[in-house]
Amino acid sequence: MSDLSLVDQLEVGIEALHAGDDSVQPACDPEIAGLLSLVSQLRTIPREDFKARLQADLMEAAEDIGGLAADAVEILTSGNTGDHGRILETVSRRNALAMRYNAAAKDVEDVPFDLLPTLSGGGEYPVRRGSFIASLAAHAAALALIVTSGIWAAGRGETRPQVNSVVVTDISYVLPPASTESRGGGGGGDQDKLKVSKGNPPRFAREQIAPPTIVVRTERPKLPAEPTVIGPPNLSFPQTSQLGDPLSGVLGPLSNGTGSEGGMGSGDRGGVGPGRGPGVGPGWGGGFGGGPYVVGGGVMAPRAIYSPEPEYSEEARRVKYQAVAVLQVVVDAQGRPRDIRVARSAGMGLDEKAMEAVRQWRFEPGTKDGRPVAVVVNVEVNFRLY
Amino acid sequence: MAENVLKVLENGTDEQLRVAAALRDPALFADLYESNFDRVYAYVARRVPTRQDAEDLTSEVFHEALRNLGLFEWRGVPFAAWLLGIAKRRLANEWRRNGKKLEVARDNLEEAGIEGRIEETAVLSQLVEELPSDQRRVIRRRFVEQKSLREVAEELGRSEGAIKQLQYRALQNLRSGMGKRHV
Repeated sequence: MSDLSLVDQLEVGIEALHAGDDSVQPACDPEIAGLLSLVSQLRTIPREDFKARLQADLMEAAEDIGGLAADAVEILTSGNTGDHGRILETVSRRNALAMRYNAAAKDVEDVPFDLLPTLSGGGEYPVRRGSFIASLAAHAAALALIVTSGIWAAGRGETRPQVNSVVVTDISYVLPPASTESRGGGGGGDQDKLKVSKGNPPRFAREQIAPPTIVVRTERPKLPAEPTVIGPPNLSFPQTSQLGDPLSGVLGPLSNGTGSEGGMGSGDRGGVGPGRGPGVGPGWGGGFGGGPYVVGGGVMAPRAIYSPEPEYSEEARRVKYQAVAVLQVVVDAQGRPRDIRVARSAGMGLDEKAMEAVRQWRFEPGTKDGRPVAVVVNVEVNFRLY
Repeated sequence: MAENVLKVLENGTDEQLRVAAALRDPALFADLYESNFDRVYAYVARRVPTRQDAEDLTSEVFHEALRNLGLFEWRGVPFAAWLLGIAKRRLANEWRRNGKKLEVARDNLEEAGIEGRIEETAVLSQLVEELPSDQRRVIRRRFVEQKSLREVAEELGRSEGAIKQLQYRALQNLRSGMGKRHV
């Protein structure tokens, strides 16, 4: 292959490269292929005048820097800092230089700080607007959640109440000690127009088959049974021939009283007296003495089976008030709270909150001799803030 | 800083000496410019789409280097690495400002083979300067300015055949020079 043909081959290759076609190179002579690879590189070398032009610019800048530095050094070393005119001139030149450099560096300084380049979209990776917005929204939501939950928790933490309630069977500090082992009462009558006549009740027994009667309406009952009232069998009244209410002031004529459902007195349900139930006296639920049973002497305490805790009153929470309220509650034979009253006041609206809650309580009723009876207990409610 | 400069002047390597000298006299920065220009330009030119972009960025790199020469610390790496670091940051800013990928491959400096190719282009640029003037003129017009054979022939007042011969010989000389420098 002649030189001329190599020259021509080279020219063909160069023209192809200029046209953007790289396929010629492998097809030509190996020597020409090597030269063409140089041609590709030569296309990236700088223009002839650029290098010299840039050097001239740099030298001009260097001269400014050098002159400025020299002036500054001279002023400082001479100690002649009173030469205000020269100092001002130096400062002015320095400012002019700074302005020129700032203009040259503007492109760079306009670019934001090189942090998270993909965030601003200027980095090596393009920003997908959808992803960017979704990410932004997710971060904003997370931040809002953190802030609001923090505020909520902080607010709750200041006034979060904790209320503990406990049923206290010892009511000695609110009630005087019982003179007998139990209390209770009952009442009855047969709707007579006359008040019950004075006498003694029948004996106490654990169960009642027939209520006591002064005026016998059924002369010959089919199944005779001894009349009794329910109460501790060891309690006894003087047994006389005349049945009646020992608290009545009416000596005669004989009467079962104005009550109802059997028994004697103005009450009801087969007892003696103005109460309710098969006992004697103004109370209810059997026994004697007026009022419900207290725990002890064979009377078992009721047990709370549903006891929602009271709420803290807003007033007390606002001033961070803590206290203990004691309620006296009669738990009837059905396990319901009755006659709730405040035995020890806590104040600040906490008593009302405690009563409101205890009204909803349900108990397994107290028992006496295995039978459910009304029992008085205390409920202690401890209001605390944490 | 003056003490450090003196210490370098006493014990430093050639490049350290040149940097220390430029710190004392900014006009001596020309020496550092001369020895690193082709390398920096080659590095930038491979990463931007146009010759104008390459020239602008190269200019910015050297101006920044001159301005911040006092910040350069000799840590055993060549001065060129510091310059290329500036160039890399400038390129990143350029890409960010444009908001899109440039069309030119953005190879990292650490990428295998890239350093060699940059060095090869830098040497080639220097070899062009060493060519006989008629060959150099043909090379610059034909390949740097990418003029046609006819345009170059008309400009230099030679026949197209003579221009073809000149470019052939020039390329042979360049290849020979590259071989001698083991590039």
